[in-house]
Amino acid sequence: MKPLLLRINLILIMLIGFSVLAQAQRKKQRQEDKDTQAWRYEIEAVNTGVHGTYLIKVWSYSTSPNAAIEQSKKNAVHGIMFKGFAGSQGIPGQKALCPDPNVETVNEDFFKPFFSDGGKYMKFVNITNDGAVAAKDIIRMGKEYKIGLIVSVNVSALRKDLEDAGIIKSLSSGF
Amino acid sequence: MKQILKNLVLTIALIVGLTTVAFSQAKKPTLMVVPSDLWCITNGYIYEFDNQGTKVKIPNYKKAVQESPELLMVISKINELMAERGFPLKNLESSLKTLESESAENAMLESKSGASLSETPVDKLKKTAKADIWMQVTWMVNQVGPKKSITFNLQGLDAYTDKQVAGASGTGNPSFTAVLPVLLQEAVLAHLDNFNSQLQMHFNDLFENGREIVIRIKKFDSWDGDLEKEYGGKELGAHIEDWMKMNTVKGRFNTSDATENMMLFEQVRIPLYDSNGNATDARGFCKGLQKHLNLPPFNITNKLMMKGLGQATIVLGEK
Repeated sequence: MKPLLLRINLILIMLIGFSVLAQAQRKKQRQEDKDTQAWRYEIEAVNTGVHGTYLIKVWSYSTSPNAAIEQSKKNAVHGIMFKGFAGSQGIPGQKALCPDPNVETVNEDFFKPFFSDGGKYMKFVNITNDGAVAAKDIIRMGKEYKIGLIVSVNVSALRKDLEDAGIIKSLSSGF
Repeated sequence: MKQILKNLVLTIALIVGLTTVAFSQAKKPTLMVVPSDLWCITNGYIYEFDNQGTKVKIPNYKKAVQESPELLMVISKINELMAERGFPLKNLESSLKTLESESAENAMLESKSGASLSETPVDKLKKTAKADIWMQVTWMVNQVGPKKSITFNLQGLDAYTDKQVAGASGTGNPSFTAVLPVLLQEAVLAHLDNFNSQLQMHFNDLFENGREIVIRIKKFDSWDGDLEKEYGGKELGAHIEDWMKMNTVKGRFNTSDATENMMLFEQVRIPLYDSNGNATDARGFCKGLQKHLNLPPFNITNKLMMKGLGQATIVLGEK
């Protein structure tokens, strides 16, 4: 009887542990998504990308370095769409694909699933160096980390997708 | 029953009218990439002649596209990227070839009775490569020791208003190893999106505030009247300005020049569609003014000439 009770207790403890962990993970993810929506990330130009792409470095904030890497992809696409980025020596900056700042709230039905975990945004972003982050690009700031990850965003495909969805106008629309 | 039929006809007419407006598309401007005068002069692609003691240099586009592989590569890359954006461009080399072959065909063309094509000196003058917006490209190679970099400048120039409607420029990163075509390709890729976002803003402005055009009024010396001649106590020039106020978008136009012989209207904003919902341009807009001047009390015979989508000239007195 005793070993059975012990097993049940162990299973219960494990289940509670997993649930607490999952809850904490979800909370962390929600916080990171909130950071993305609040524009809490920075983008800088790295180099001129190959045909139809931008090569950028995204600085994201998170309490876990691994989570920051995943969030960086989301931030990169979000930034290209709504923020744009400044140029650096020899590389021109680029304007946001959606120049209207209200477009995200007006088209919430489109953007919510687009930026959900594993959402469509994944289609337009690639991490370089297999996600390896240089030591100088991991900065500890109190309880959280600021991580700089170099990613490549397929702007041509992203722009086409937004045009097809009617979020932005194509260059030839109206003619 | 009659009332029902009348309502039905009215509803159908309204639907047809709305559909015409909704599906009618504005006249699409044509764009063409050309090298700038500066680039042509720097690289020796010019005609040079003596104009009464002054040396005049004119770009020789044909020589440039035939002899510069870098220019061909830049034009081709810009054309490729613009086509990808759903806005294919007119190609300079093809336009020059078409002009040449058309000129040869016109010279040989004869009717069965032996008549040849009629062509005025003005017709001959108008035979040049045309575009509504010129994408003028310039680049310079900077060399510091073994390092090379490119300074690239792309300007979008409205052919009628002479305004720069879009632009992108900058100097790329110096490189030890990259060859010139690679640096140029990189420069086009780096700058074209910024150019296009400005071009998009220009198009947005066009849809919001109307097409910006230039209108000139002139007179033949055979006509005994002039723009100061009074009709109903008001000079003809003032009558023309009244018509412009009534027909432009929000009454927007500038009278830049006015004498008894000519008037120049700039920054004239015209609607993209006429009253029937059809796409219109400078010529279509000026047909209204032409008709207005033909009617009493003016009864002035006049000639309407146009240049592309954005420039029109009305010459008073004769056809």
